[in-house]
Amino acid sequence: MNALFNAAVERLSRVAGVRGALLVESEAGVPVVSELREGVNETAVAALVASLFRRTGAASETADFGRLNTLQLEADEGHVVAVDAGELILVVVADHDAQLGLVRFEAHRAAESIA
Amino acid sequence: MMMGSELPHLIDALRPPIQRFVRESRARIALLVSSAGQVLAQHGFTRSYQVRNVASLAAATHASSHALAQLAGAERWEHLYHGGRERQLFLAPLRTPIEDLILVVIFDADSSLGIVRLFYENLEKEVAALPEFQQKRERRDQESFEHDLEAGLEYTSPDAASED
Repeated sequence: MNALFNAAVERLSRVAGVRGALLVESEAGVPVVSELREGVNETAVAALVASLFRRTGAASETADFGRLNTLQLEADEGHVVAVDAGELILVVVADHDAQLGLVRFEAHRAAESIA
Repeated sequence: MMMGSELPHLIDALRPPIQRFVRESRARIALLVSSAGQVLAQHGFTRSYQVRNVASLAAATHASSHALAQLAGAERWEHLYHGGRERQLFLAPLRTPIEDLILVVIFDADSSLGIVRLFYENLEKEVAALPEFQQKRERRDQESFEHDLEAGLEYTSPDAASED
């Protein structure tokens, strides 16, 4: 199982413009596997994205939109894409000029292989 | 162990970082004690006996965990975590230049272990940088030690006057 996680995260982190990827335990908000560029705070990304994903998921269910599948955060200097992977959340941190379509496609493929 | 005369000043200095930690981490209860069990800051308790009990247990757990870490060949321990059905407990040493303090945090589904750990790191940096934790204090005798232990509870407890 761990090899599967590592392979998924490694593959994602090789996509052009991706600063790193990590798998986060969704309830605890702690990283399970990560492959991040230097300077990206793994603990902070894992904790904050898991918290955001949980809260947005609750909002989605409250609005009768069902289970949250993908959360995409766009900022001036980069993007964060978080995808539901069962008890885990797959998180990708990418540069602002990364090909978001490709990042999302690869993230969903990786999440499906894990969940 | 903080001495009686400097204790109110120290408790005042610790209040803002603890309040910030509670707000950011969404913790229900937070308690900061010295390694001797002296209460330095608390948030969320409603009874002084609860503060006293948790402070004593935290100090004992810190000591036994330290001993266990040494037996296991680890130099020191990072934190302890207990996951309950509704509430979870996080207990960690908070390192300052002159002594280790102990932080006890109780949180529920409104927060997470990751969030608590994240803001604990910020709190540790903030407390370690306080001028009050830069200079060693003189050792105290037994009588003063007990007096100081009680003083910590008095200055921080929600109901010390009526409870005891």
